[in-house]
Amino acid sequence: MARYVIRRILVAFPTLLAVYTLVFLFIRVAPGDPAVAALGDYASAEAVQALRERMGLNTPLWVQYGATLLGYVRGDLGRSLITNISIGSQIAAVLPHTLELTFAGVLIGTIFGIPLGIIAAVHRNRLADYLSRVFSLAGISIPAFYLGILLILAFAVKLRWFPVMGAGDFSNPVENLRHLALPALALGIIMIAFVARMTRSCFLNVLREDYIRTARAKGLSERGVILLHSLRNALIPIAAVLGTQTALLIGDSVMTEIVFSRPGMGKLIVQAMLQRDYIALQSLIVVYASLVVVINLLTDLSYGVIDPRIRYE
Amino acid sequence: MGNRGRRDCGEVVQMKVRLLILGCWFLSIVATGQVLRIAFDAADLKTLDPHYAAATMDRAVVDMVFNGLVRYKPGDITVIEPDLALSWEVSEDGLIWTFYLRPGVSVHPFPGMPDGYELTSEDVVFSLIKAADPQRSAYAGEYTGMKFEAVDKYTVKIVLPQPISSALFLPKVANYSGGFIVPKRAYEELGPRFATNPVGTGPFRFKEYSPAQKVVLVRNEHYFRGTPKLEGVEIWYMPDVTARLSALLTGEVHVIEGVREQAWVEAVKRYPQVIVDVFGPGETEVLHINMTKRPFTDLRVRQAVAYAIDRNELVTAIGPDVAEPLCAAVPPYLPGGLTCAEVAERGLLYDVDLAKARELLAEAGYPEGFEISAYITERASYRKPFENIQAQLARVGIKLNITVVDHSSFHSLIRQDANPLVHYEAWRPSADAFLTRFYHSASRVVVGTKPDTNFSHVTDIDGLIEAARYELDTEKQIALWKEAQIKLLEEMASYPLYILKFVFCRSKSVDYGYELKSSLALYPSINELTTLK
Repeated sequence: MARYVIRRILVAFPTLLAVYTLVFLFIRVAPGDPAVAALGDYASAEAVQALRERMGLNTPLWVQYGATLLGYVRGDLGRSLITNISIGSQIAAVLPHTLELTFAGVLIGTIFGIPLGIIAAVHRNRLADYLSRVFSLAGISIPAFYLGILLILAFAVKLRWFPVMGAGDFSNPVENLRHLALPALALGIIMIAFVARMTRSCFLNVLREDYIRTARAKGLSERGVILLHSLRNALIPIAAVLGTQTALLIGDSVMTEIVFSRPGMGKLIVQAMLQRDYIALQSLIVVYASLVVVINLLTDLSYGVIDPRIRYE
Repeated sequence: MGNRGRRDCGEVVQMKVRLLILGCWFLSIVATGQVLRIAFDAADLKTLDPHYAAATMDRAVVDMVFNGLVRYKPGDITVIEPDLALSWEVSEDGLIWTFYLRPGVSVHPFPGMPDGYELTSEDVVFSLIKAADPQRSAYAGEYTGMKFEAVDKYTVKIVLPQPISSALFLPKVANYSGGFIVPKRAYEELGPRFATNPVGTGPFRFKEYSPAQKVVLVRNEHYFRGTPKLEGVEIWYMPDVTARLSALLTGEVHVIEGVREQAWVEAVKRYPQVIVDVFGPGETEVLHINMTKRPFTDLRVRQAVAYAIDRNELVTAIGPDVAEPLCAAVPPYLPGGLTCAEVAERGLLYDVDLAKARELLAEAGYPEGFEISAYITERASYRKPFENIQAQLARVGIKLNITVVDHSSFHSLIRQDANPLVHYEAWRPSADAFLTRFYHSASRVVVGTKPDTNFSHVTDIDGLIEAARYELDTEKQIALWKEAQIKLLEEMASYPLYILKFVFCRSKSVDYGYELKSSLALYPSINELTTLK
């Protein structure tokens, strides 16, 4: 397995290089000037020119490309063109909040989505199935930010159970959880919908398999058939979806971060894009791509845990 | 009194002392709990170096941390009063301004000097030199040719290349943009970190910054106007308006940046616990007409555009509380600005007249109208009125095709002269700044010697702008500024639309400590007088 992991990590480098190259080119093709974005429209033309010089935007593109790449090799993600803050320190400040929110959303999605999907599959075309499908459809259709606003109005403004804004300090777990509850629920409900649909579909396939018929013919209880024989076999495609959705959720959480005024990677990426902060955007996307690579690797490795017959060669 | 009585008496005294201590502790808790939270429509800060800060959320922090030599009176930008300088005088030839500094002003503590130090003329000269350096300031153009000298510990001399009126000079040393005084030793100690660790002399000092979340300020116990009543201020970055309003309603924040639309203002006014402040100076909204692009090269076509647009319809659409008509290039509350009545007296109001607009178009050879394309930013305060203008122009056959782009792209494209019509929202501190930046030939986009925001390509009022700039007689100066604007209206280089005011909401527990009419920091200034009940 170690060889497999090393090989996957080595393969990730060309992927990350391609991602960096594409972002580097696309952001420069788009109109917009980071110097104007940084200084505002009242700044003098000389000041804009001086800042462009200082930002290194007047140097040839290949020099800018190489300098940033060299920085990555040294582990330096560079400094924001707008704030001059180290991008590494910015990411270090917000990444724990993003990961916390993402994994809380995935956890809620898994805990509630899998049982909901199983119930729907087992009670196919009956009331429980219909209700589950309606919930899933609604969950997938409602945008996370809108759900977030509804949750704020109900549980923060009306009932005053949770705070509206910010991310709690990690040193105070209770306060941290209070701040996390609503945004995690906003993302979690969407994850429940995805996971429930996927689980239902996978379960229906598995329930038609010969070994399930055999298990039932042996006189195994229905609970045993579902939990021992069906669930494990259905889990591999569910794990694949969970992996993909986790990666997507990191990027998709931007609207949730905005609605709940939480710091996070998504918010930084959008801000960098709007301000044409080339260096920040490149580095944030590379870090995001690295996270996707890691999550995909962990997902692939989880297959071996779910099904011991799977070997990593 | 027996032993027991004495003991009882002693216990009562002890209990009273304990209660007193408890009371004091409770009061201290209450007092230290006065941290005001203000939420801005922003995802994060850009820079807290006052010589670069331009966005509202950055100007707000800078306003609380720094001082100028003089300052705009809190809540009323028409009055200038002493700040770091107790007094000032100008030489008879108008070339030398001398400022006498307030002794005993403490610079906030910073790494390397945990007790701060006393601000002196050395700091003021350093700061002004920095403000004049395009490598270290966005506002260097304001100080071109000036010389700065520390005469003694508390006296600063500023020598101008040419005399200018106090109306033009004092804003350059006021608590706005380049006029904020940056302490020398703090700037040198912190280097590039100064932009996110600002050190000044203001009522609040910087404590910490959480990226994409908030900046925390604490009160400056040694503030020269007295210790601020608030314990501290937290500046939150909350780009979603629903989240800001929800946080205000739950009491998690005390002041929020609102939406500059009547419907929103009226909806929020219904909450009994909220006060809505609509205040000036506001930003001017002007439609610049590119006189080098056909068919706008023809005066009759530009006039037709003016007669086709109904600015009152725009004001009604945005709302009379937040918008008021603008009839000339310089808003009337600035010295040199023209009121709508003054413009009407000269017959240049261009009251909406669709028949006349069609007649002018026909005379110019466009009886059926024409088609043009323009970019606009996605921001509502630009996009919505531009769509309204699109509908108004369609009534006379002018088909305006709009492409919506993000704000950065819009600023870039209009500076490349991509638009025949440019809707621009701006605030400038003086008539000279408005006229120079938007109508001096040197400021023409792309082709000017100092390309800036002259989107109309006006070239014929340079003489008036420059004559007004160096005119020391206030009445003559104002007359020259007004004459320049009349010429602009005669050639219809731009059609002034309206002034859009600022909207902030606060909890009833917030008392700013002054009457809020206008604020140059573009937010309701929080200072040493502000309290939270």
